[in-house]
Amino acid sequence: MMRGSLIGAVIAREWRTRVVKRSFLIGTLLMPILAVGVLAGTVLITQATDTTNVVLVEDAPGLISRVDPATGQQVPRCPGCFPERDKLTYRFTREAPADSIWLEEGFTVLVEYDGSVLQNRAGYLVYDKSPGMTAKRNIERDLSKAMEHARVLESTELDWQAYQRLKFELNLIDREANGDMARTDGGGEEVRGFIGFFFSALLFLVLSVYGGMILRSVVEEKSNRVVEVLIAAVRPEELLLGKVIGMGAVALTQLVAWSVLSTLAFSAFQFVFDSGALGASLPGQGEVPTDLLTAMAENEITSILLDINWTLMALSTIGYFIGGYLLYGSIYAAVGGSVQSEQEGQGMVIPIIMPLMFAYIIGSGAMSNPEMGALTWLSWFPLTSPVIMLVRVAVGVAWWEVVLSWGLLMLSARIVLGLAGRAYRFGVLHTGKSSGWSLLLQWIRGHGS
Amino acid sequence: MTTALSIAQLEKSYGAQRVLNGVSFEVPKGAIVGLLGPNGAGKSTLIRSIMGIVEPDAGSIHLEGRPWSREVVRGIGYLPEERGLYKDMRVGDQAVYFARLKGMAKSDAVSALRHWFERLEVEGWWDKKVSDISKGMAQKIQFICTVVHDPGLLILDEPLSGFDPINARRIIDEVRALASSGTSILLSTHDMPSVERLCDEVVMLNGGKVVLSGGADALREAGWSGQQEVVFKGNDIAFTNALGTLGHLDGITVEASGGLRRAQLRLREGVPPGQLLQALGGAVEVNEFVKIRPTMESLFIQAVDQTAAETSAP
Repeated sequence: MMRGSLIGAVIAREWRTRVVKRSFLIGTLLMPILAVGVLAGTVLITQATDTTNVVLVEDAPGLISRVDPATGQQVPRCPGCFPERDKLTYRFTREAPADSIWLEEGFTVLVEYDGSVLQNRAGYLVYDKSPGMTAKRNIERDLSKAMEHARVLESTELDWQAYQRLKFELNLIDREANGDMARTDGGGEEVRGFIGFFFSALLFLVLSVYGGMILRSVVEEKSNRVVEVLIAAVRPEELLLGKVIGMGAVALTQLVAWSVLSTLAFSAFQFVFDSGALGASLPGQGEVPTDLLTAMAENEITSILLDINWTLMALSTIGYFIGGYLLYGSIYAAVGGSVQSEQEGQGMVIPIIMPLMFAYIIGSGAMSNPEMGALTWLSWFPLTSPVIMLVRVAVGVAWWEVVLSWGLLMLSARIVLGLAGRAYRFGVLHTGKSSGWSLLLQWIRGHGS
Repeated sequence: MTTALSIAQLEKSYGAQRVLNGVSFEVPKGAIVGLLGPNGAGKSTLIRSIMGIVEPDAGSIHLEGRPWSREVVRGIGYLPEERGLYKDMRVGDQAVYFARLKGMAKSDAVSALRHWFERLEVEGWWDKKVSDISKGMAQKIQFICTVVHDPGLLILDEPLSGFDPINARRIIDEVRALASSGTSILLSTHDMPSVERLCDEVVMLNGGKVVLSGGADALREAGWSGQQEVVFKGNDIAFTNALGTLGHLDGITVEASGGLRRAQLRLREGVPPGQLLQALGGAVEVNEFVKIRPTMESLFIQAVDQTAAETSAP
């Protein structure tokens, strides 16, 4: 058997013993189901609460409505204050009937207030079933404008149109300067920064969890005394490489499985949603938009998902996972070889994990300011680049920077892998009570104990 | 080619501590060679050097006449003293994994393992997890993993530890069978009776040096200093008179039945046992006449004491 096949056998064992396991299968299946479930829940709840509301406004003091002489109906004094909205219509009255009657007449909501409303700015929203947050917000907005109209007429010399003309709101539109090139549309960095941080946080989590798994695996092989049989057949460096790659393959399997299963689950949900099959099942729901993407775009949270360049982010995450995992996984393995227990190892990895934690904290700050200067340097530095560069990729970064950063990361990983292999060679046979960084550094320099 | 393993002037130090100091010996093909020595004698370092786990500072190792290399070493069956199995893996999967690390194709490994599992009567354990089997059973699995690839040279470090007497006998029989089929075996152990029962040759290490080596029988013969045991029927005075100046009588005990008497004595240097037998012939009725050779344990202690005395001498 060639050396590569030996490493292959180690990789296969590491992969098989972890992937062919009930806990792994459950975790892998559950994650996409939960993710799509949360998305589906958000969209459906939004849709469910976004029911058609017919609002009866009991304008007892006659502030915002009047009787139309032509029809005898109560109509708004300021028709422009009630813009046409989907699933929201108003009727006005000076005196509302009993609850059972207006509910029977098809109204879903009753708004009531008295003459003091202009002073105390409070009224009541009466309903049988909640109209939902969006509807409530729109009702408040429309009635506030109508009340404002009433106050303007009551307390100023201006007419409503003049007041409207004097009102001023500054709206800043983002544009990006590109040197001598034409300016381009800007904006959205914060949202993109948030998206980048989500992926970098995911990578931080995966690196920490799977790094810890390597440490545990090495300590286990030492404690159950398998290691001497192994290194009689495989070089310690090859064993370390096999373990790191094997465990990394487990993580990649999970990431890829999550991606594929999430896509499938999303597609399935999209198919069901778009077919309209969910419409009838929604409580108090008349019509549901037949397009899931449109429904997602209407929600502040789910609309962010539509802004993500999933292919770019998935490829970047996998690329930086490979480099980051080889780098940190090797260190975890070397530490695992130098200690006698997992607890001891966890204590030793704290200084190693610090740069990654630092990157995570900086990455969270980068959400609000994704173009801060320090990010550039940190996204090139191998110990922080896996986490930081993902934020920058999401916001937008020159391709050569990504190549440089990833190249430096892979080069560092290769060097660290070699050094870790040397330490591991001595460490796995070390059973003495002494351990620690000085011993580890001594082994890296090639001096056994 | 008659040697399976040849070691010449092997040296290894850890810092200022010299663990192997010019160790040389050979394991002939098909022989069982016992590697003996007190704790800290350098046995584990020697074995790890052979297996490439530790890199010696000087000296040479030849396997089957070929210089040491990774590929050649992989042919060795190695059962280390510090051994174990993955607790969360199934026994069969684990055995196949170790066989594959020894260079076997998966199908060959499965077929050879099935044969060994049946032979050692553990075939029902193939699908069990290691955590579900007993320590003795795990030891059997480890032994199988060591021999499954039909190695030309076996290095067994305390192979009987953890076995009950019945299973220990079973393993000894298997080791003997392997040796008779041509496998060379280096057996490191503190279990002296098994050395006497199994080993053709012995290498004794102390302080990183070979202090005694040779054929097991030859060493015991060489270590014989005239001890003799005689079971006879007759008069004690007649026996003592017949012994005369041929040797020194250590004592005579009366056997429980049959009126037999058992005498322990030490022949004078240069007196052959036959001469005593001839002298006793006319005086008493000799039922047993046994040459008492030293045990491996006494040779071992003697060699260790002698080295300690030489080291402490000014």
